[in-house]
Amino acid sequence: MLESIFYPASIAVIGASNNEIKWGGRILKNILSDFKGKVYPVNPAETSIQGLVSYSSVLDIPGEVEMALIIVPAKYVISVAEECGKKGVKGLIVVSAGFSETGNNELERELVSIVRRYGMRMIGPNTLGIVNEPAGLNASIIGRLPRQGSISFITQSGSLGLALAEWTIDTGIGLCKVISTGNKADIDDVDLIKYLDSDPSTGVIAMYVEGIKRGREFIDAVRIVRKPIVAIKTGRSKRSAKAVFSHTGSIAGSDEVYSAAFRQAGILRVDNIDDLFDAALAFSCQPLPLGNNVAILSNGGGASIVAADECERQGINIVDLSEKTREQIKSVIPEFASSSNPIDTAGTVSFKIYNDSIQALHDDPNVDAIVVIYVHTMMSNAMPPAEAVVEMKQKCIKAKSRKPIIACWMGGAGTEEGVEILKSGCIPNYPVPERAVKALSCLIRHREFLEKVKIDAEPKDKMGRCK
Amino acid sequence: MKILTEYEAKKILSKYGIAVTQGSIAKSEDEASSIAAGMGFPVAMKISSPDISHKSDVGGVVLNVKKDDVRSAYSDMISRVRKAVPGANIEGVLVQQMAPSGHEIIVGLKKDAQFGHALMFGLGGIFVEVYKDVSFRVTPIDKKEALEMISEIKGYPILKGIRGRKPADIDAVAQVLVSVSEMAQKENIVELDINPLIVGEKGAVAVDARAMVE
Repeated sequence: MLESIFYPASIAVIGASNNEIKWGGRILKNILSDFKGKVYPVNPAETSIQGLVSYSSVLDIPGEVEMALIIVPAKYVISVAEECGKKGVKGLIVVSAGFSETGNNELERELVSIVRRYGMRMIGPNTLGIVNEPAGLNASIIGRLPRQGSISFITQSGSLGLALAEWTIDTGIGLCKVISTGNKADIDDVDLIKYLDSDPSTGVIAMYVEGIKRGREFIDAVRIVRKPIVAIKTGRSKRSAKAVFSHTGSIAGSDEVYSAAFRQAGILRVDNIDDLFDAALAFSCQPLPLGNNVAILSNGGGASIVAADECERQGINIVDLSEKTREQIKSVIPEFASSSNPIDTAGTVSFKIYNDSIQALHDDPNVDAIVVIYVHTMMSNAMPPAEAVVEMKQKCIKAKSRKPIIACWMGGAGTEEGVEILKSGCIPNYPVPERAVKALSCLIRHREFLEKVKIDAEPKDKMGRCK
Repeated sequence: MKILTEYEAKKILSKYGIAVTQGSIAKSEDEASSIAAGMGFPVAMKISSPDISHKSDVGGVVLNVKKDDVRSAYSDMISRVRKAVPGANIEGVLVQQMAPSGHEIIVGLKKDAQFGHALMFGLGGIFVEVYKDVSFRVTPIDKKEALEMISEIKGYPILKGIRGRKPADIDAVAQVLVSVSEMAQKENIVELDINPLIVGEKGAVAVDARAMVE
């Protein structure tokens, strides 16, 4: 059923407008820009909208309508939804606001009962719409279709989701779907996660959560999803100030309970928006490591120590390299440089140094993951080491290797050309070592979830392999 | 919503197989004396009132009471608590076995609007107030998860036995956690503290408990 919302053959936009500043105008324009299916504007006050015939009711549309967006004032939503039901519409996206979020619970219940009566499914009300890149569908007020990618983003805040989706386009992060959940009156997190789990174009699920409905069902549903789910849950702290009866009551704020629930479900809870997309990016283009033994390669000692410190904080092991690995690395780095982990090339940078070192680390059975750092100086070129990383990744894919490579190109403008090479080679790159290591720690934690929490899950997805 | 006295809360714990320190409510000096005599000295004496949940704050707990002191302990406590909490409905004084020695643990429940019940485990007594070294799970949980939540707290090595000390009966604590998880829904618990649960080398005993039920 959710397929009708994400991959509809035909769409009615009820409340469509010629005025692109209005929501009904903007959303119609966005749909028309890339969507290849049939689109029917509905607005009784117009005869033609944005070059298309306008219908006065969804019931007047000659062909079938699989999905309808409702963008009319709240008081008309009930009758419009009823018409959609009669028309045989399967999925609704109700953008209109003025329901439970403003205390209008009765109106929302009435809407849900119509949706159920006609066997429809609904996103919203009070949603800013959805985007499904593989379908070329931008049924939202996000300005552009995101870049192609495997990250699907579920957001409870419409405006935040919007801003982030736009930001991913600029930063080059690819998205598969963006779903603004609105009030979750019908389709909620449990439905969406189940659907995205079965969606072949979604590789990782990122969530912005303010509150979960159906808590226990949520845990049980998510526990059997093997795809990584990274979530930011807002509203930490806020413990009730009133005198509490028990110690448990005073310590067990809702935030602690959310943390416990997410852990039990195997959701990676992160602290902030950077961490959310940093982790999602790593999941979207790297395999899961088999263990938590990491090797760090850097041309600067300081950066590698920062990375090593973060590894310590995240419980990641800086592994001892085999004698053979060290000999191989020694043969390409200067005599005064360090061949023990973290490897410091003492400022020297070349394709060969990075290529041969990464190859040696990759071939070392003690190493599960590699963090490659490049610190820019006036004397070095950011491109050759980036090329070495990308080439190594190609080899990994051929060899079906399970060792993720995470990059950190530091130094602003001078690194840009190198960063572009990494991006186009699908290497997750971060501007500081801590963020690279934190993203890696999410890969490791998810691997642990698969072993400990998600033991009942069917291995039906394709994550955990080199793409 | 109803607040249970320690005596009532422990009755529920017993029902789910959790060991509690035995005791009875005395309504007079004489009763206190005879209950204590049947139990063996020294005893613990605690005020029993649905209006008082933090008993020691109002002078409602006296420990290690010897045979000759039971009567005076009874009357002193009643008058002290009457003064501290005027108008409180006092059922009497709970006369109890003294707690065995061991580590103080807290096990608690809190009803949560989204997830049902949250189960808490941690080092109890004053530790929970200062360090809040606790772990949580949403109920229900099984024994494996109980053992995991025990191992998550920072103080876990203390229970495992550091510097040659004998390890605590962690398995018994895990069993208590599973039992508490089980009672959460069945007993309509809103909030529950078992604090302390004393765990020694063998077995775990609930020494004090407070509960609020629906």
